[in-house]
Amino acid sequence: MPNRASRSGPNAGRSELTELQHWVVRHLQQLRALPRDPALSLEAADRLTGNERVAPVEQIEIYREQFWLRHTSSLVEDFPGLGGILGQADWERLVESYLQAFAPDSWTLRELGRRFPEHVARHPELPHHQLCCDMARLEWAFIELFDAADCPPLDLAKLGTLPPNVLETGQILLNPALRLLEVSYPVADLRMQLLESRRNGHAGAGVQIPDPLAQQLVLYRASDRRLYHRPMSPEAFSLLSALERRLSLVAACEHALQAWPEHAERLQQNVAGWFQAWARCGWIVDVVPGPASEAGPPRS
Amino acid sequence: MTKPRLGVPDLGIGVGLRVPHYRHILSQRPALDFFEIISENFMVEGGKPIYHLEQVLEHYPLIQHGVSLSIGGPDEPEPSYLARLKQLVRKVKPAWLSDHFCWCGVPGAHLHDLLPLPYTWEAVERVAERARRIQDYLEVPFALENTSSYMTYTSSEMSEWQFISEIAERADIGLMFDVNNVYVSAYNHGFDAREFIRSVPHERIVQIHLAGHTNLGKYIIDTHRGHVIDEVWELYRETIRLSGPVSTLIEWDDEIPEWHVLAAEAEKARAARNEALGLSATPSAGEPAPARAPAAPHGVNHSGRHGGPRELAALEESSLGAAIAE
Repeated sequence: MPNRASRSGPNAGRSELTELQHWVVRHLQQLRALPRDPALSLEAADRLTGNERVAPVEQIEIYREQFWLRHTSSLVEDFPGLGGILGQADWERLVESYLQAFAPDSWTLRELGRRFPEHVARHPELPHHQLCCDMARLEWAFIELFDAADCPPLDLAKLGTLPPNVLETGQILLNPALRLLEVSYPVADLRMQLLESRRNGHAGAGVQIPDPLAQQLVLYRASDRRLYHRPMSPEAFSLLSALERRLSLVAACEHALQAWPEHAERLQQNVAGWFQAWARCGWIVDVVPGPASEAGPPRS
Repeated sequence: MTKPRLGVPDLGIGVGLRVPHYRHILSQRPALDFFEIISENFMVEGGKPIYHLEQVLEHYPLIQHGVSLSIGGPDEPEPSYLARLKQLVRKVKPAWLSDHFCWCGVPGAHLHDLLPLPYTWEAVERVAERARRIQDYLEVPFALENTSSYMTYTSSEMSEWQFISEIAERADIGLMFDVNNVYVSAYNHGFDAREFIRSVPHERIVQIHLAGHTNLGKYIIDTHRGHVIDEVWELYRETIRLSGPVSTLIEWDDEIPEWHVLAAEAEKARAARNEALGLSATPSAGEPAPARAPAAPHGVNHSGRHGGPRELAALEESSLGAAIAE
């Protein structure tokens, strides 16, 4: 039997099945309880059978409640630090406005919070707004790191086989399970305190909002598959940022020097040691001969 | 192992692989015939999920069960989703793979729910055609599961059992037969669960799911919480009497108990299966199902928890990394 299509109106061309599905989705995403809408009750009775215990509009309401419960629970799980900063009322308003602005569109709940940092940034009325922005970015970075691709450490034996100028021209590849984050507050430490408090049943009570403190953080998943954060010096962070943009080591050093001329001596003294240490701990995973990226403006 | 059905073996009795049990399973390697994973939880690049998957794969057969295919949605299932699923199939090498007779959203909105389809010929055609192609693409026997549902459409043209039987026959796929879902939907919509069980093509049942649920009085929510109730055990025995020995799995996704409780439930399934097959007169083992008080409707999550808690970053805090030369 061919698909039957609606013949006129805004849904022209849609089959009856598809049109029904759009109707269901539209109502499941409503924030308000559906049975309070008398017009919808009539509409629902046209689409849904109901039964002697549950009216048609109550049937779809079961799914609407679940939509909100499922997605708000998922965000609570993914952003415990942000939830810990905000009170219950602010958190609920934020999450509801997010789910209305950015309907879940991925097959995996893992992606639900992808645009949460962007949404938080758009809401300056939130208490401790900059801290909230930093926390949202930190927590999304952890989500990405958690199941990022596995990568073996740099094969030091391979380095000896590469052309002598490889560090000048080649690309230094960083571990896919590594992120660089500049923040205005010590959010990683705050997050640890909030989770510790939650584990002890205090739900963040007694954890103080910290004073601002600019930090350059390296977030990474180590070989034990656990997540770590490490504050870096500005010049080391600048160097890593340039490597992340696929600049050669020499070009990356030049950028770091431009960005932090006052730390030039320290950078020149330490760069060889940093490279070795970052390779040992798995942050640098490969050196690839061939042209590195064109030099861009330094990040910091 | 008995005669295969649709090329699919009887693996015996298994349980859903869930995060709270990882440590016990990997350190104690309890006796169990197989585990079932939620495919989507492992369709990631690396990290702990893949590490744990590989560890379990070394010691147990694994079966894949999906919750996000949305085979009945307006659009075709996403090619990127199917490609990732196939990648995982190549790693896990399951004897079969399943998802649901359902849809999950429309273009631009994925609701992460197992929404019931109207039982219409249009839906039969849509799902059957896709199911056949998906089975060919994945190169592994494919099955779809009857969902539990809370709403029914005025446009339906047949019963649920006619609907799923028609699709299974047309697409030549298996049935993942969830006996608890039959009970839940029968309660919610007032049909006869035994008629459902008697009416499906038993030779196409490749796996059976059993689970607990939450009875709210007006309706039942399929929470996968608590013990399988006696009525569902009885329906399970009837299913086995009609289908013969079929791989059977206990799902327990909410308020997940300690391993020994879940293992006892699995052994109860084994005893019930043996009894139905006339292999043993042993009465069902395990604790009797406790009386259940209706739970408040708020906080009852019926499908977001398929697979139990996700293994995710937020469950562990980051630690301050060791001093790295600076």
